[in-house]
Amino acid sequence: MTAEVDVLIIGAGASAAAFAWSLADTRMRILCLEQGDWMNPADYPSTRRDWEVRMDREFSPNPNLRRRPEDYPVNDEDSPISVLNFNGVGGSTILYAAHFPRPHPSDFRVRSLDGVAEDWPIDYATLESYYALNDRQMGVAGLAGDPAYPPHEPPLPPVPLGLAGETMGRGFNALGWHWWPSDTAIATRDYEGRAACVNLGPCKAGCAQGAKSSVDITYWPLARRAGVQLRTRCRVREILVDDKDMATGVVYYDERGVECVQRAEVVVLACNGVGTPRLLLNSRSARFPEGLANRSGLVGKNLMLHPWGMVRGTFDAPLESYLGPLSCCIWSQQFYETDRSRGFLRGYNMQITRGLGPVATARIGVARGDIPWGEGHHEAFARRYGRQIGVGICCEDLPEECNTVTLDPALTDSNGIPAPKITYRLSENTERMLRHGLARGTEVMQAAGAWDIYSDGPVRQTGWHLLGTARMGEDPERSVVNGWGRSHDVKNLFIIDGSVFVTSGGVNPTPTIQAMALYIADAMKRRLANLFD
Amino acid sequence: MSIDRTDDSSQPLAPGQRANLDIVLNLIVPPSADGRMPGAAEVGVPAYLFAEAPDALPVLRRELQELELRSRERFVRGFADLAQAERHSMIGELRAQQPSFMSRLAMETLACYYQHDRVLAGLGREARPPYPKGYQVAQGDLSLLDPVRARGKIYRDAP
Repeated sequence: MTAEVDVLIIGAGASAAAFAWSLADTRMRILCLEQGDWMNPADYPSTRRDWEVRMDREFSPNPNLRRRPEDYPVNDEDSPISVLNFNGVGGSTILYAAHFPRPHPSDFRVRSLDGVAEDWPIDYATLESYYALNDRQMGVAGLAGDPAYPPHEPPLPPVPLGLAGETMGRGFNALGWHWWPSDTAIATRDYEGRAACVNLGPCKAGCAQGAKSSVDITYWPLARRAGVQLRTRCRVREILVDDKDMATGVVYYDERGVECVQRAEVVVLACNGVGTPRLLLNSRSARFPEGLANRSGLVGKNLMLHPWGMVRGTFDAPLESYLGPLSCCIWSQQFYETDRSRGFLRGYNMQITRGLGPVATARIGVARGDIPWGEGHHEAFARRYGRQIGVGICCEDLPEECNTVTLDPALTDSNGIPAPKITYRLSENTERMLRHGLARGTEVMQAAGAWDIYSDGPVRQTGWHLLGTARMGEDPERSVVNGWGRSHDVKNLFIIDGSVFVTSGGVNPTPTIQAMALYIADAMKRRLANLFD
Repeated sequence: MSIDRTDDSSQPLAPGQRANLDIVLNLIVPPSADGRMPGAAEVGVPAYLFAEAPDALPVLRRELQELELRSRERFVRGFADLAQAERHSMIGELRAQQPSFMSRLAMETLACYYQHDRVLAGLGREARPPYPKGYQVAQGDLSLLDPVRARGKIYRDAP
């Protein structure tokens, strides 16, 4: 057994890093256990000629394809959307696109405004200062003045529009629709010791330049300097509790596979919306036979994944669309707020993405039959390469108890720990929203001048946003944690990742996950004298 | 041409199989008429397959063998001796009968082809990894946002 700590954090991704940094000023003994390791930016695909191929293999966002030793498998056969993640210091920020939109104030009040799901126990105004703090700590680029949001000012100038962004901007203007340069967690200027973005392109395979704001290079160095310990290659099997329903520590396997016990006064879960319910469900005991902190029965339920649609258009003019941060350019929130005349409640964000590299352009073109084998191959390729643009449709899915994370009865990770199983389907509301989004994406492509347009959705390999499986609320029978992340059932157990989302909004969740983590850390610091009351 | 019946995956392709593979590769991506782009047979696809897709090699050998056998049965000539139209016909049949394998072969071929120096040069791209040099991208005309600003706020206030 290793020496007891005050606070034990499980997982070293987006939320854990922000939380650890914030809590470090208490001078408590803080330890983070991470099942993966530190990443070496020199290993990222963009340092090599075969970067496109490596993105699909050892840097695939799908753990079932990537199969690194630190990955755990996910049974996603009962879901049209695969779970994506990354295990290592930095978590999924290593491979995320760094698209960094905030939600709208209305996202926290869906019951009050739209009569569906439930309101959050906190609101946008409460989180606003934490969003701003997080923008500064991460280094967020963007353009102030977006009329889709309450005023906020990103600390860095926006990523370049390029010809692709200008082309789509004109298309949105022709329709009279909203668009704006995306808020992006990319240092567009030298920032806090990090070099500025040089448009490597494949941000989603790790940033060798260090311009993309993954938390291994933003929060973690600061947190460690402030005294937080980070122990890698440590995979937690279960959380231990005593007969007073208090967590006492965890059992984990170290890098040699040796079973260890780590005692702690406070345990903090930061394993994402799949890993956190998995660990809670694996922590069964006589006092918690249905899984730890699960007296509500809601651990693992209400999984939300943001079903994703994709529209891709081809243009006559050469756009060099493959240049620039692949998934960050402009967004449109024209269809974000509820308009009942559309036939669905809530809405979606449109995320304009740039063109693909030559390998992906050729492979997709040939697979779709747009680029032939043999005669005509080169001409068809040339008409597409550098001339394609994408519109991603990020749909808000509402919480439903039938969408779940459970434990697979047979599948395990390399330590023999039961793996998660996903059961998920799109609701009728989401199906209608997705169809609407694909149609509007096609419409804006036409308005922008695209001549070859195709659409697809839900796209399978898009389950980045893992939300809602241990949601927050004031009612212990309808939620797993309270309004500041503390378990209703286990007073020294906290959850700070996307599991606590009450609803999903329709935007990439990392800014909100981190703002929430900072908020929860502050809430704990304010209550240190009576944290468990 | 001899028909190699080995299916030992540790062995490289027999000369006849290699010649037939080159023909198939150029049926997937032929050289361009202006000579700017090479054919797929010129960019080292076999070595790429051995390195990157070894699991596909036993099936590749089997299908190349099958291709040769069918060619001799139908045309009384080896695949390499067929006219181009006859080759297309046989490959078309193979694509219909073995869509999964032929698709895999095409995808691996395209991956190898579109990373090759000569191909990138033909596309006007530098043959280098993105890092460290990166690329220049135009910042763009932000005055295009004027009409968006003019329409004003589009988010809802929340109680």
